[in-house]
Amino acid sequence: MNFELTEEQKMIQQSVERFVQENYDLTNRIKISAEEPGFSKDYWSSMAELGWLGLAFDEEDGGFGGNQIDTLVVMEQFGKGLVLEPFLANIVLGGGAIKRGGSESVKQSILPDLIEGKLQVTLAYAEEQSRFDLEDVATSAREDSESFVLNGKKSMVLNAESADKIVVVARTSGSQVDENGISLFLVDANADGIEKENFPTVDGLRASEISFKDVVVSSENLVGKKDEGFEILRAVTNDAILAIAAEAVGAMEVLYKDTVEYTQQREQFDHPLSDFQVLQHRMVDMFMEYEQCKSLLFRATMETVEDPVLSQRTVHALKHLIGKSGIFVGESAVQLHGGMGVTEELRIGHFFKRLLVIDSQFGNSDFHLEKFTNM
Amino acid sequence: MDISLSSEDLEFRDEVRSFFEDNKIKSGEDYFSWRLGWFEKAREKGGWDVPKWPEKFGGPGWTPTQHYIWEQETARANIPFDLPFGLGMLAPILMNYGNEEQQQRFLPDIRDRKVNWCQGYSEPGAGSDLANLKTKAVLSDDGTYYTVNGSKIWTTLAHVADWIFCLTRTDDSGIKQQGITFLLFPMKQEGIEVKPIITLGGSHTVNTVHFTDVKVPVENRIGEEGKGWTYAKGLLEHERTGLAGLSKSLVELEQLKDNARSIKRGNGNLMDESSYKSKVGELEIDLLATEFTELRSLASAAAGGDPGPESSILKLKGTEIKQRIQKLTVEASGIYSSAWGDKGVGPAFAKSGTGGYLNSRYFTIYGGASEVQKDIVAKKVLGLTKGSSK
Repeated sequence: MNFELTEEQKMIQQSVERFVQENYDLTNRIKISAEEPGFSKDYWSSMAELGWLGLAFDEEDGGFGGNQIDTLVVMEQFGKGLVLEPFLANIVLGGGAIKRGGSESVKQSILPDLIEGKLQVTLAYAEEQSRFDLEDVATSAREDSESFVLNGKKSMVLNAESADKIVVVARTSGSQVDENGISLFLVDANADGIEKENFPTVDGLRASEISFKDVVVSSENLVGKKDEGFEILRAVTNDAILAIAAEAVGAMEVLYKDTVEYTQQREQFDHPLSDFQVLQHRMVDMFMEYEQCKSLLFRATMETVEDPVLSQRTVHALKHLIGKSGIFVGESAVQLHGGMGVTEELRIGHFFKRLLVIDSQFGNSDFHLEKFTNM
Repeated sequence: MDISLSSEDLEFRDEVRSFFEDNKIKSGEDYFSWRLGWFEKAREKGGWDVPKWPEKFGGPGWTPTQHYIWEQETARANIPFDLPFGLGMLAPILMNYGNEEQQQRFLPDIRDRKVNWCQGYSEPGAGSDLANLKTKAVLSDDGTYYTVNGSKIWTTLAHVADWIFCLTRTDDSGIKQQGITFLLFPMKQEGIEVKPIITLGGSHTVNTVHFTDVKVPVENRIGEEGKGWTYAKGLLEHERTGLAGLSKSLVELEQLKDNARSIKRGNGNLMDESSYKSKVGELEIDLLATEFTELRSLASAAAGGDPGPESSILKLKGTEIKQRIQKLTVEASGIYSSAWGDKGVGPAFAKSGTGGYLNSRYFTIYGGASEVQKDIVAKKVLGLTKGSSK
């Protein structure tokens, strides 16, 4: 066993860290988030040029042949600046589904352009009634000679506003909650019959509700085998959990460090706040939660690289701990910053919001505890 | 000890209920004129417009049980909004420490809901350590007015307030609890600048307020110069009791359960899921206990006077309960808890749920942070001398 990153990974880590330090102070983040399209196209192009977008793709698809550890390296640093560029939606979700299930022609038509930052793809899987259950899919895909016809509604689709293509999870057979009978389709984001309702999210990103009315997709754009899309969906969302857990670990590091610094500066009762033992202990707890999350993140990621099926239980464990600890660290940072912590003026509130959203994505803390204990 | 309500109490409860029923807002009726009319009718009932005021100042002189009934019923009924600053915070100070002229000048407008007050206490350097305040008030040579300079922060609704009651420093030679002077002055005048603070929930309720050479006539001073801390301290205890907000939490808890039941899960709903149900259950149990802690405190206050340090327990428990209700609302919203803004997606309660949760983090900070409240309990109740608060 070895916890060392490779030389290439260390270089990537340093380069992402520098990028975040130089470009992601709070003022700039707020500005980018408020303007269309909610991220910086220039930054996205730079990320493509620096090769970050291709790290986790195979060389024959235009990537660098990396894996989830490379994504961890990038996302942890992104978490320290709450980077807005749609890496999760494009690279982990949309790209992750296509690299696993896309036919050669689909892969060739999408992945090289995606890696170069010229094309955007997202994943539409959740539905209004599904809550966190991946297998709860009501959106239907009816086969009609050489094509499928999609009807239904998808919820909380990340970055759909900017996406050129959407991988849509739909039901081709079985009952609404069967794992069998789920299929994935690559659809033009502006195809006839698609309507989007776009809105901002709590963490300053963008999402959409999307309705599909008789949307026709050619059979060639089936991603994976018909009725057998669930395993792809599960693998992709597991990758997404690892990615946002890494981001959360980066965010928690900022929160505990900012709090330690603030309490040393702020004086009340003629002492720096950091003199008070009750606050010291709270900060020790924040630090411990951060370290524990990092450990479980490494464990789940390394296990997934080794065997993505056997790692499932640890992935559930990770998402439970990240949700719970992330909110604890966020709430504690706010509490120890006092009134200032509850304002938009300090960055800690923004980091707290991101951690809150992370708990609600791909299953919250309760959901994964239940899955974990039942395995 | 007897938990049953007496026949008089039951009669009182019915009277309160029918009063609320008879005076509901009618469709199409202007809210603000209804509101003023409502308070007028409540006044005719014998001080129902100022339930917490002593009889001497026109209050109803209720027993603790009657107050409890009133709290319960008001939380359930749709009664007009009321702000605590004038009515619940300043009024007791005026009654206890103001002179007769000040009482006659300010109390009637407070009672008639004509003047909106805000509270000028916290400062950038004086949060939990409130006595550390630096806003300076200097008495003129002829002794007729003070000139006020400095800044206040977290001033709730300062942007709509007509008047402010304000703690100022007139002397910094002694310990910091001395030399504080309690002044009242209008907000709409030259030299006062109000700037909004946007909180995490995206709303504007609190402000920073800057004073530049604001002139305050000496007759607007409450009590003696330099004794303001003593007056304010009693008030803080009142404030802390009010912050517990238990009756409202009871209603919100029922709402929370309804919301969770509206989230379908398989053949049941979210309230059938054991992890969620347990959290709601634990919350309700804490609420049942805290409700009686409050009643016990009210009963002893009725026998003795000020609510005293027990009010810190209520603030600690009550605010934590309010935060947990908000957190469970976020959890019930599921994937939709991350949606932001006016476009409501997902269940209706999700729309304001996350903003409400984020703003609720303030509950354990304002009115004395929880850590300070615990210091007070440690020192004043348990008699542990090496606390950090003074």
